[in-house]
Amino acid sequence: MQSSPNMLTKFESKSSRAKGIAFHPKRPWILVSLHSSTIQLWDYRMGTLIDRFEEHDGPVRGIDFHPTQPLFVSGGDDYKIKVWNYQTRRCLFTLNGHLDYVRTVFFHPELPWILSASDDQTIRIWNWQNRSLICTMTGHNHYVMCAQFHPTEDLIASASLDQSVRIWDISGLRKKHSAPTSISFEDQMARANPNQADMFGNTDAVVKFVLEGHDRGVNWVSFHPSLPLIVSAGDDRLVKLWRMSDTKAWEVDTCRGHFQNASACLFHPHQDLILSVGEDKTIRVWDLNKRTSVQSFKRDQDRFWVIAAHPNMNLFAAGHDTGVMVFKLERERPASAVYQNQLFYITKEKHVKSYDFVKGVESPAMLSLRKLGSPWVPPRTVSYNPAERAILVTSPTDSGTYELIHLPRDATGAVEPTDVKRGQATSAVFVARNRFAVFNPASQQVDIKDLSNSTTKTIKPPAGTTDIYFGGTGCLLFITPTTVVLFDIQQKKQLAEVTVSGVKYVVWSNDGLYCALLSKHNVTIVTKTLEQVSTLHETIRIKSATWDDAGVLIYSTLNHVKYSLLNGDNGIIRTLDQTVYLVRVKGRNVYCLDRNAQPQVLQIDPTEYRFKLALVKRNYDEMLSIIKTSSLVGQSIISYLQKKGYPEIALQFVQDPQTRFDLALECGNLEVAIEMARELDRPNFWSRLGAEALAHGNHQTVEMTYQKQRNFDKLSFLYLATGDQEKLSRMAKIAEHRGDFTSRFQNAIYRGDVEDRIQMFKEVDQYPLAYLTAKASGLNEEAESILEACGLTEDQIALPSMDEPLNVPRPIVPTFKSNWPVKTAGHSSFEKALLGEVDADEETAADAFEVEEEDQEAVLAKDTMHDDEEDASGWDMGDDVNVEEDVEFVNVESPEAGPGSSEADLWARNSPLAADHVAAGSFDSAMQLLNRQVGAVHFAPLKSRFLEVFKASKTYLPASVGLPPLVNYVRRTTEETDSRKVLPIIPRDLETVANVYLQEGYAAMRANKLEDGVGIFKNILHTLLINTVSSEAEVEQAKKIIATAREYILAMSIELERRTLSADDPDSLKRSLELSAYFTIPKLEVAHRQLALMAAMKFSFANKNYNSALGFANRMLANGGSPKLLEQAKKIKAQCERNPSDQIEIEFDQFAEFDICAASFSPIFSGSPCVVDPFTGAKYHEQYKGSVCRISQVTEIGAPASGLRLFIPGQF
Amino acid sequence: MDPFSAEGELLNIHNAFHSGQYQFVIDFDTAALSPENQLPARVLKLRAQIAQGQAAEVLSAVSSEEDTPDLAAIKALAQQAMGKTDAALQLARDLAENYPDNATVQFVCATVLQTQDHSEDALALLAKHQGSLEAVALIVQIHLQQNRTDLALKEVQAAKRWAQDSLLVNIAESWVGLRVGGEKYQSAFYVYEELASAPSTSAPLSIVGQAVAELHLGRIPEAEAALTAALEKYPEDAELIANSIVLNVLAGKQTADLESRLQQTQPSHALLADIQEKSDFFDAAASKYAPKVSS
Repeated sequence: MQSSPNMLTKFESKSSRAKGIAFHPKRPWILVSLHSSTIQLWDYRMGTLIDRFEEHDGPVRGIDFHPTQPLFVSGGDDYKIKVWNYQTRRCLFTLNGHLDYVRTVFFHPELPWILSASDDQTIRIWNWQNRSLICTMTGHNHYVMCAQFHPTEDLIASASLDQSVRIWDISGLRKKHSAPTSISFEDQMARANPNQADMFGNTDAVVKFVLEGHDRGVNWVSFHPSLPLIVSAGDDRLVKLWRMSDTKAWEVDTCRGHFQNASACLFHPHQDLILSVGEDKTIRVWDLNKRTSVQSFKRDQDRFWVIAAHPNMNLFAAGHDTGVMVFKLERERPASAVYQNQLFYITKEKHVKSYDFVKGVESPAMLSLRKLGSPWVPPRTVSYNPAERAILVTSPTDSGTYELIHLPRDATGAVEPTDVKRGQATSAVFVARNRFAVFNPASQQVDIKDLSNSTTKTIKPPAGTTDIYFGGTGCLLFITPTTVVLFDIQQKKQLAEVTVSGVKYVVWSNDGLYCALLSKHNVTIVTKTLEQVSTLHETIRIKSATWDDAGVLIYSTLNHVKYSLLNGDNGIIRTLDQTVYLVRVKGRNVYCLDRNAQPQVLQIDPTEYRFKLALVKRNYDEMLSIIKTSSLVGQSIISYLQKKGYPEIALQFVQDPQTRFDLALECGNLEVAIEMARELDRPNFWSRLGAEALAHGNHQTVEMTYQKQRNFDKLSFLYLATGDQEKLSRMAKIAEHRGDFTSRFQNAIYRGDVEDRIQMFKEVDQYPLAYLTAKASGLNEEAESILEACGLTEDQIALPSMDEPLNVPRPIVPTFKSNWPVKTAGHSSFEKALLGEVDADEETAADAFEVEEEDQEAVLAKDTMHDDEEDASGWDMGDDVNVEEDVEFVNVESPEAGPGSSEADLWARNSPLAADHVAAGSFDSAMQLLNRQVGAVHFAPLKSRFLEVFKASKTYLPASVGLPPLVNYVRRTTEETDSRKVLPIIPRDLETVANVYLQEGYAAMRANKLEDGVGIFKNILHTLLINTVSSEAEVEQAKKIIATAREYILAMSIELERRTLSADDPDSLKRSLELSAYFTIPKLEVAHRQLALMAAMKFSFANKNYNSALGFANRMLANGGSPKLLEQAKKIKAQCERNPSDQIEIEFDQFAEFDICAASFSPIFSGSPCVVDPFTGAKYHEQYKGSVCRISQVTEIGAPASGLRLFIPGQF
Repeated sequence: MDPFSAEGELLNIHNAFHSGQYQFVIDFDTAALSPENQLPARVLKLRAQIAQGQAAEVLSAVSSEEDTPDLAAIKALAQQAMGKTDAALQLARDLAENYPDNATVQFVCATVLQTQDHSEDALALLAKHQGSLEAVALIVQIHLQQNRTDLALKEVQAAKRWAQDSLLVNIAESWVGLRVGGEKYQSAFYVYEELASAPSTSAPLSIVGQAVAELHLGRIPEAEAALTAALEKYPEDAELIANSIVLNVLAGKQTADLESRLQQTQPSHALLADIQEKSDFFDAAASKYAPKVSS
């Protein structure tokens, strides 16, 4: 007999002959006792051998798991019964007593009893708790092959080679061994009068029935789980069914079919079936009610010896000559099809039902498919045709049949279908509204049929095709064992092929662009043209899959729901108690069918895969909202982010300082790293931070980390490298203090301090070296004194010839003052999103508004077409006072021919910023704007800036030969195409000003090149005057830079003025002193202010104005900074304090608050009237009102002005 | 068969002309061409010569063959190139009147008309074209010069329907793209980059196109690399110099040298003219303002 297609083998092991099998009640484990004396413990789901137990001597025939405890029992040909603990993997004890082979052993379902059957013709019951034999049942007069407890009643069935089956009543034994209080009077009477004692006087277990009918020895007997039925298998090749009542038992029927000894048999746990195995190498399934063979499975070589059923699940195991096979009798996957919001599926009763995903309601049964295929075989697939409201069902019965059935309009109950079209095929799918394809593997032929079931077309699929699936409109997918082929039905042409082996199911994404090919252990995602996108491997069997709307594949294995992104990233969403078949995902709900074909809704947390998807798609807003709204933390997501190269995002999730530190280092975020290192404060972290900071050129951090580590050598070298002389000398002091001569010597070398070196040599009594050093450095006096101290004279010493001593080069640039300039690490777009989340919201709001506006404009456009054209031609820049109102100017393009306005004109219309008007070439309106905004009146100094901005505004693209090049307008809004929003690029932006020109200005100040400095700072003012920025924050920065430039220009101008005066004339000396005092007033950088103070202090001191000098000295000391300067200040302070008076009275009160008039360089005390320049904010005495600002040289002092605009919110 | 189509024998010379490889066009061996393609090839060669600044030679070459309207049109173009604008205009108008259906007359005369700012006349003449890509390109350019991006876009899209793969249509689309901006900048860049990187089409024309697209995309360093390399190779190309000036201003660099170079190469360049005009305009506008009190 040919093997049945419905026998689904789940696991097979290779070993020696398997004599006993036991399923674990909960775990996917099976115990197999072998003829070779070994007991194996397998995980049949994973297919792995968990353990081996080898203490028996000779074949082990009986084996059983304890229903609840981590125990199992085994019995073997060594007459021994062993009880094991599989957790400790040890044999706990051995029960000795049988005098021959032990055939079977079983635990009692509740009591601590073990039942054993033996070739010594006895059946014994043991108490495994006190390890004693409590009952021996005799009566069989040949080997007892099998003895089993009844699952619920106090009965035992035994089978023996004496051709009988016996049923034993053990209620007496139970009474004897239960608590004595429960013994009633009658019981005591009964026990006192053992009238039913057997011939050995044993009343504990008595034979209730002896079932005779087998002509040969009986090998196996089993109770039905709920009915009073018994099944037995014997060497007469028969399986016999027996029924019993309270008083009698009789043979019901015989199942004939085995043509060799029947070894074992049992009832199906929940279906009306009997299973039996035999030495004829078959497993046979019988209908319990008809006693007819339902199906059979044959192995080629191996005789079957034993069969076992899983207590709960639809699983069986059979042991044969070369191992064990675990199998299912039928597929448990319910046939189902999804269309939009409906699921069509076939229940266990073979009823067609639908389920509405939105309402979550199951329909009543619509159809009964009872007659489809055989009663024991569920339909395999269902395909739904919404246009015709028809289903196509296939069943594997009779090597494959299909039926085309129209669903009734209303679900009224399980009616028998009418007008059924059927045929032979293993697969049938709808491929178009009125066509379906059926596949017949035997003939290797695919027929395309119309709805009347007549073939319209025949296709020869590729050789070895096993299945067909829908392949997108008008296409089919052919599944072969190694490939999947996409086939166009119309053209009869193979479109694509992909090599994927063992594909079992095909799941299309909702948009039909992707398709998941499910094999037993692999998921392969391909595009609709079969280009492989990704593939993943699962060790656990993959059961089903469905697509999320966002294009994430959700799939289920035996025990997990998992996801896979298109790029192959996958992970677990949740675990499953029972295997389910996913049909749909919507939001947090996963819809599935369980093995009983019941729709189920599982709750999942889609956060993780959505987050990863957002990450892959760089959808930062989505990520942001996920981070905000969910508690997405955990090591896995962090390491995922880290692995994918987003440490800065991972940083957002982490609280743990150590991880934060690691991540911060990885993404170069020193601030966070410092913060975390402070928190952790361990040398290891400081040293790692130091290394990273060094790589960044952030030597201030490096310095801090070295200090934290007390790493003096490195610190000294760092100071040397950065040219920080002052700190270097402090290091020398520290070294001296520590008495560390090596370090002191090193520092002395670094500093080029010869005296200190000599001093040190002397201290350590290295007089020759001290002398040599002194001599080499030309310190002859010192050398002499050393000689004297040593009592030697010069001619007593032979000196080697020496070159000029090497000097340590002096630092040219005070690197130590600031860190290496690092280009501001652009915040990742994610961080930007984090920072600018408010903007984003506003933007969306604005966008939404825009749509409406455009609609209105479309209407408006028709009305204003003519007006507009006139307006455009008569658009006089000179009159453009209300520029800001023109932002709302609607640019309507007329459909007629004729020139339009150039983009430059658009810029001028789109922007109220002077810079944009300049770029547009509309200088006059730009000037007008500047005049109104900052009171600009003198434009000559701005000419070069105007022309520069203008020059940068256009490119010249050569086009047709012979014609001038096409002029294109360079935008700073490179992404923008809306002509009402385009804006020009402005060269020399704020960043350049801040990072280049401002630094140049400072450099000029330090280098005392004041004329250059004034020029640079004025240039900064002019550049910023004609400029744009991109945020309010940058507006603030620009204002700050303008103020800085003003202060420096003022300061430098004062000093330049002072230098023009001669010191001989007493008047000009007084003025000089005043100016040098005023020089200290503008708010310069502290280091620069110190320079001004120093100059003023020295100048005052030199001219005996001790009081003023004292004031300057005090201010210097208050400012702190370079110790050299402070040293001088201290000295002068000390001197001045002796005589704190001024020789020359000057107009300078160091204690009063005042500003300096930028025109006259004289003080404007607070409260006295003054006028201000509207652009720079420079202050002037009132009489200068109306003249050009000395600082900007462009604006009019005291002019009414609205303030400089550099930024339009909402636009770039 | 359309001689300019992919299978046509004029395809190479045509593409070379429009990717700015004029010397290749002049050197092109036309002997093997079929008789009906001889004239269009000659026209291309003559136009290439004019583009190379050899207008006088062209003028003398065609003066004896004025009976052929194609060559007469070339004569007008040569006159225009030599600065004889009035004569050129007169000739172009006559030809437009007499041979409005001749494709060469259409686009050559339209070029002359457009150069002298008679855009409406040029468009009217070009409107009569019968599937001439050159005419389409010219129409697109005229629309763009009139700042009618919408009409140019329409024209290109119409042409794309029947000449999807034509080099000229692709280039014309890039012209429009550089006006429209946004994502179109990137597509224009791709077109020019492809031209510039393929040795058969690499010429100052395509490199300038690429650099201009980069500039519009805000990718200053890349544009600088392209322009600097090209300037070394073609130091005399006016558009290269002009766009380098723009680039250097954007990068905050000095441009005086380049401006004087442009002054030497092409004193009439729009950039210089614009700057001069705006400079005067500035002075005029600035003179309207004065401080209330002169200091």
